Parts: sequence; C-alpha cells; structure tokens
Amino acid sequence: MSDDTLASAGLYTDELNKIRVLEPTAAQQTTELKEECKEFMDNIVEFRTIADKLISTVDGLQAQVEQQKMKAIGARNLLQSVTKQREAQQQQLQALITEKKLELERLRLQYDSLLQTEAEQNEFIEQLLMQK
Amino acid sequence: MRFKTSLPKEAKHRDFVTCVAWTSIDEVFSSGDDHQILHWNLVTNETKKLADLPNDLYPTELDVLPRAASKKQGPDLFLLTSSEGKFYLVSSNGRIEKGVEAHKGAVLSGKWSLDGAGIVTGGEDGLVKIWSRSGMLRSTLAQSPNPVYCVCWSPESDAVLYASGQHIVLKPLAPNSKAMEWKAHDELILKLAWSALNGLILSGAEDCRYRLWDVYGRLLYNSPSHDYPITSLAWSPDGELFAVGSFNTLRLCDKSGWSYSLEKPPTGSIFSLAWSSDGTQVAGACGHGNVIFAHIIERRLEWKNYEASVTSRKSIALRNVTNEAWEKLDLPDRIVKLGLSYGHLVVVSTSHVYVYSTRNWNTPIIFDLKEGSVRLIQQASKQFLLVEGSGIYIYGYDGKLVSSPKWPSMKVDLLNSQIISLSNDTVAVRDRTDQRAVLVFDTASGKSVTDTGKAGGPAYVHTSEVYEMSLDQTGPATERKLALIDRNRELYLVAIRRHGGSSVAMKLGVMVGSLYWNDGASMLAALQNSRLVVWFYPNVIFVDKELLTLATQEREGGEFGKSPIVVNYLGDQVTVRRSDGSLVSVPTSPYPAVLHDYTMQHKWGDAVRLCRFIKEPLLWACLAGMATYAKELNTAEIAYAAIDRADKVLYVQYIKNIPVKEVRSAEMALLAGKTQEAENVLLQNGLLFRAIMMHIQLYNWDRALELAVKHKTHLDTVLAFRKRYLMRFDREETNKRFIQFGQGVQLDWQKILQRVETEYQRESGRIGAALPPKTSSRNTSKKAVNPPRKEVRPPPNDEELGDDEEDGEVD
Repeated sequence: MSDDTLASAGLYTDELNKIRVLEPTAAQQTTELKEECKEFMDNIVEFRTIADKLISTVDGLQAQVEQQKMKAIGARNLLQSVTKQREAQQQQLQALITEKKLELERLRLQYDSLLQTEAEQNEFIEQLLMQK
Repeated sequence: MRFKTSLPKEAKHRDFVTCVAWTSIDEVFSSGDDHQILHWNLVTNETKKLADLPNDLYPTELDVLPRAASKKQGPDLFLLTSSEGKFYLVSSNGRIEKGVEAHKGAVLSGKWSLDGAGIVTGGEDGLVKIWSRSGMLRSTLAQSPNPVYCVCWSPESDAVLYASGQHIVLKPLAPNSKAMEWKAHDELILKLAWSALNGLILSGAEDCRYRLWDVYGRLLYNSPSHDYPITSLAWSPDGELFAVGSFNTLRLCDKSGWSYSLEKPPTGSIFSLAWSSDGTQVAGACGHGNVIFAHIIERRLEWKNYEASVTSRKSIALRNVTNEAWEKLDLPDRIVKLGLSYGHLVVVSTSHVYVYSTRNWNTPIIFDLKEGSVRLIQQASKQFLLVEGSGIYIYGYDGKLVSSPKWPSMKVDLLNSQIISLSNDTVAVRDRTDQRAVLVFDTASGKSVTDTGKAGGPAYVHTSEVYEMSLDQTGPATERKLALIDRNRELYLVAIRRHGGSSVAMKLGVMVGSLYWNDGASMLAALQNSRLVVWFYPNVIFVDKELLTLATQEREGGEFGKSPIVVNYLGDQVTVRRSDGSLVSVPTSPYPAVLHDYTMQHKWGDAVRLCRFIKEPLLWACLAGMATYAKELNTAEIAYAAIDRADKVLYVQYIKNIPVKEVRSAEMALLAGKTQEAENVLLQNGLLFRAIMMHIQLYNWDRALELAVKHKTHLDTVLAFRKRYLMRFDREETNKRFIQFGQGVQLDWQKILQRVETEYQRESGRIGAALPPKTSSRNTSKKAVNPPRKEVRPPPNDEELGDDEEDGEVD
C-alpha cells in the first residue's frame, strides 16, 4: 500500500528499504547498461591497440620490403653492369697483352739476331783454331 | 721504358679537365669546365685553386709562353683559349690580363710561337689567325671549310700547321706562298703535334689511329687502331719520345712511331698532354676531372757488357753482363738524363752531374751544373758534351770544364744529336740560320775552325741542307772527318780540319737513311736503301775512289724492314733498330779494325801479314788505301798487287824510282788524287815545269796556262800541247784565253821538245850524280798506263792519232 503511495509520489523502496527515486528494475537495468558500456569501451580500446600494433608491424614490413626491393634492383643493375665492366676490363687487358706481344716480338727478333751473331762468332773462332 | 702514373684518389676538378700546362719543372696548371684554374705542386703534392674563371668561360687549350722567349720578358704568361670565341692572356697568378675576341664560335686551339713573338689560333669558324704577342690581329692566315681543331707552329715559326677535317694543311706565313695539304686520316683529325727538334709531325684522329709524318707529308708510321679516338698527343722536349692519350689510355712512343709502353689508367679520356721541360714527366687532363701525372722509368742504356736502367726517380741499376754483377746507384736528386758510352756513365740530375767510370762505380765525380737544364749529352772517348741552358759545355771525364764553344748565331734550343757531333778534339754543329753550313770548333781551345779564317764562320758549306752529321772518333785532329747526310739523302764525307786547306767533300753514297761511326776505328756504318753498308776505310775516297766499293761490306736489308736506323757500331757489331723498334745486331768483319790499329801505329809489316793471312780483297783494298794515304809505297805496291791493280802497281814502282824527293811526294799526292797538294809541293820547291806538265797531262789546260803566264815560262809548251790535243779531237780552239795568248806565238815542236829535255836534265842536276840516271827511270815509268801521263811526243801524224785515242779518253 504504502508502496503504491510512494509510487504515486514517484518514490520507490528497494530491497534494503531505502527510498529510491528510480524504479528498482529500471535502476538495475541502468546499472547493467552502465556495466556493459564500460565493458564495451574496454573492448574497443583493446581493439584499437591491437589494430595500431598491427598497422605499425605492417608498416615496418612494408619498409623492409621496399628496402629489399631496392636492393634487388641494385643487385640486378650491378649484375648487368658487371658484364660491361668485364668487357671493358677484357678490352684493356687485351690491349696490354697486344702491347706485351709486340714487345716480345721485338725481343725475340733481337734474340734471334744475337743467336745468329753468336753462331757467326763461334764459326769464326773455329776457323781461327783450325788454321793454327 | 715505360710510364709510371700517379692519379690522385679524388678528382680535384668538379668537371672535365680540358687543358694542362707546366710552369716549372714541378708545377702544373690545369683548367677545366668547372671554371677554375688549379695549381699543382709536385714536390709538396699540394693542389690549390689559383683562380676562378668567369662562368661563361669554358677553356679549350692552355699554352705557356716558351721559356726561351719568356726569359727576357719576366714571368710566365699563359694563352687560354675558350669556347665562347675569345682567347685570354693569363698571368702566372691566374689573373686574366687580356681577353681578345678572336673567332665566331669556339676558339678550339691556340699556341705561342716558339720564339714567343706571335700567337696562332684556330676556331670553329674554320679560320686560322695570327696575333702579335700582345693580342693584336696580324693576319687571317687561312680559311678552311671545316672547324680547325688544332694548330701548330713550325720549328722555325715561319709556318703553321692546322687540321681541317681529315686533312692536314701546312701553310707558310710568307704571303703568296702555297699551302701544302694532304689527307691524313679517315676521320676527323683532333690533334696535331710538331716537334721543333726532329721536325716530325704527329696527328691523331677519330679513326683511333695516330700517324707520324715528315714535313713533306710522307707517312712514316701508322699506328694500329685503338679502341677509342686519339684525343691528345705531345712530343717530348728533346724530340726523342712522344705521348699519346685516349680513353683510359696513355701510351709512350719512340720518335719513329713504335710504342714503348701502354698504360690503362682509369682517367676517362685524356684531353690534353704536356711534357715537363726536362722531358721526364707528363701531365694529362682527364675527363674524370682529374690530372694524371706520369714519369718515365726503366730507361735502359747498353754499352758493351754494361747495362744501365733507371729504376726509379733517383736510382739506377747497373749490370755487368759478363759477371752478372749488379750495382745500385742512388742519387740525392732526380735523374734527368744519362749517357753510357766509352766506359763512362754520365748521369745528369736536376742540379748536378755524376760521372761514373765502369772501373769504379762507388765514387763518382760530381760537379754542379752551370745552368741546370740539360737537353743533350754527347760522349767521346776522352770527353763529353752537355747542351745546357743556353750554352754548350765540354767536360773531361775528370769533371773539368774543357771549353765552351760559342758563336754569333748560337741558339741551343733546337740542337739534337743529329746536328751536333763531338769527337776527342773537335765538335761540329750545323748552323741554325743556314742549314747548309757546318761550324767546327776545336774543343781544347773552344775556338772555331773556319774555312776562311774569319772568326765564327762555317768550316764547310754544303750544297744543300744538312740533315744529319757525325764526326769520326779516332785518328789525329787533322784527319778529322765529318760524315753528313743532306736533304737529298746523299752521304758525303768531309775532311774538315785539313792542314792549310779548305774542307773537301766527297760523295760516299746516295739514299742513305742513317749513319754511325765506329767507336774504335775510322769505319762508317750506314743504311743505304735499307741495306746495311759498312765502309771499312771511308777515307779511301780521298785516296782512290776505285777502291771504295772494294773496301765496303754490304748486307741485304731483308731483316731490317722499312726505314731502319743504325743505333750503334761498337767494335765489330752494328746495331740496327727496325721501324717496329726491335734491335738487330749485325756482325761485321773483325779484321779491318785490327788493320786500322796496325796502320795507326805504323806497323805496316804486321798489316801486310794480317792481309796475307786473311786473303780478302776487302782487307787488301783497305790496306792499299791506307798505305797510299800514308805514302807507304812498299805496302801500297803489295796491296795493289794483291787486288790486281796492275796500273797502280806500275805507278807506285815509277814513283819509287823517282830520285827527287819533292817530285816523289808530289807524285804520291797525285796517286792519292790530290792535285792541289801535288801542285803546291812542286811550286814550293821551284819545280815549275813539272807543275805545268802535270796540269797539261791532267788536261787541266786553264791552270797550266795560268801557271805558264804567271811565271812567264813554257807558254809555248802549253800552247803546243793544247793545239795537239785539239787537233786529235778535230776541234777548234774556243777557250778565249788560249786564243788570246796563242796569237803571235810560233810553235816549234823541235824546240819545245829540246826545252822539255833540258828541264828534265836540270831536274836531275838538282839531285847530283849519285842517284840513278834520270832518263832511264823516266822512260820506264812513262810507259805506265795509269794516270793521265804520257810520253812527251812531237805532234802525231795521222797514223798515230788512232793509237793515242785511248790515252785521251782516260781523262
């Protein structure tokens, strides 16, 4: 009875007989809602941190991939230029070899002529020895 | 010999380097497309920026005023040409003194003349312009349809060489003179270089070849094709070497074109090359923004069993081949030049001369240089010569200055080993102003020996320009002989220091390329038509020309290739360098040297024995020549007999029978072909009649008449002989002098013969009765066939005419 009166005045009593302005069920639901909201908030925050983490990881990966990619391109270019370098080097060495060959030819000619001279001198000595 | 290169790790220029120039022995200026001039000091290895150039100035060529010219006019002055059509005069502190608008489009090349009096520039507009040293336009020398990539002055600064497309053009400065042009390459010619010392022209082109030309445009050397165009060329100051630059390529070549060494430094294209004034270093302007420096190492010299090789800037390795003994000579300063010959090694450093003897390598004789820049060393067995600064100095091997010859038109810049020659008593130099003249100096006194007695005059003037000459090394000074090659490639032998007579020249050969005297005897080796010819007694040409070919050894030149040169004649070995640079040593007969030795010591008996032992006409011919020259009649008779010269034998016998000493010596002079000397002997001894008769018998009518008129004797004799001579050939008298003197002279053969007879009687009277009767000796001798000498006879009848024809043709 009294409850009804109270209710008509907009007051309610709860289990502990405390006077409440809000309806106990509504109050309970409100509290529940509050709890759920909090929970939801926590979840959202957690999700965000996880998402952030993920993004940064992916970013890091991307940078790495980019780096590797550049490296690969560099290496490929290097590989291509090595062939050219080798060619140039080969050409240079070839020129040096030709030069050495020419020098060798010069020395060979000189050696030949000296051999000939030696032979002639030996012959000459022989002659002198024979005549004695 | 090769280059040792040094290249700074980092490029000092930010862009292409286009030009380099040496300012002193250790300092270099370089400039490039980054608009700055850098100064390189090679001693401290420092590089500093000398000056910034305006931003629109792209330099193309840098040329320093030649030292000889700048000495008078103070510090160095640079000529800088640039691509915006101007050239600039830049002082040694890098300040631009003057800029002159020169061409439309770029000025591609600009050079000081060697005397520093003028500038030549060549531009993209195809013009070649001559400027005064202050930058005033003198003339537009030439107009070419193509851009002029390179210009060069002639050694005498009287002509300009320029490149026009694939052609080289040689244009003399003298107005109205015709230019010479030849096609030199298959592609655009980029560089030219003309050596002041050897007169040879180098060209380098986009067809990747360099070529060597003489001043007549004849190709002397054609290089194999390179991988890249030839972008730079430079002659060394002594004209013995040149450097060639291309992409990543630096080559060192001999003056005959073949290459000593090839370097492949990572320089990019070498756009410009410059030699230091002492000819030991090269600086090159590189496309990579660097400046490359290269100095010559491993210069090798050989003499007999010794071999010297410069191993670094300051050390020489010496090797005695016979016992494999090595010596290392270390010097305190940089080696500039060295010479190894006659048992001595002469090393010239930047400030001192070190004279080492092969007997003692440890203690050289050291003395200071007078002026400090030695261009040339020449050695003889007892002394050596240095061409240094502005003078010629002759030193003994003990380091004492012997003398320093000087002459009015002296200018030593252009002396090379071909036009100066030293022997133990004489030095011979070709005159600079008149290239036909040869100046001769006595080394002991430093005084000139001249033809006319006038101080400073030439001792001998040749008929055409002298190209190469050399003195023989042995024998007394009065028999000094000069072998010379003239512009017609003819070889002459000149007796230059004869007693009281002018120089006499005789032609030894034609088409001679190069020559060398033996070190121990008067023997001459030369290349004739690329055959090796050795004259074992060249003096024989003054004695008896017929012996010349006999006293000569020839060797077929198949092994020598095209245009070889004789580089040495030591003992009995001749060394010849082929045009590809290889040395060929050729043995010659060892006997003539021995024979020379004997005759020098007057051991005629030994000489004859040697010849008998060897039994070669070559030796006999040499001996005949030597004996005749030395008036050694017995030996001459034997030698002539051995080579079947009956006429000479008879004549020698006839001379031997002449009782009068003076006549004998005159006849010997005649045998040796020295008419002048014979006449002198006769006239000095009052044997006037003999002298006249001599000339008559030599058909030397004018001189005979001259003598007769001058001494007022035997005029009728001369006239009578002349008349008989003309009668035989059925000719009229055309000689004006004979017509003049012949008027009113009665010719009576009987009387003349009588007088001739009395003359001979009188001659016999001079020597008294102790000697064999004159007439008999004369009669036997007169039957000797040889020289134009005939029995005195009355005018012939018609029948006799035929008999005498032969005699007449002897002359």
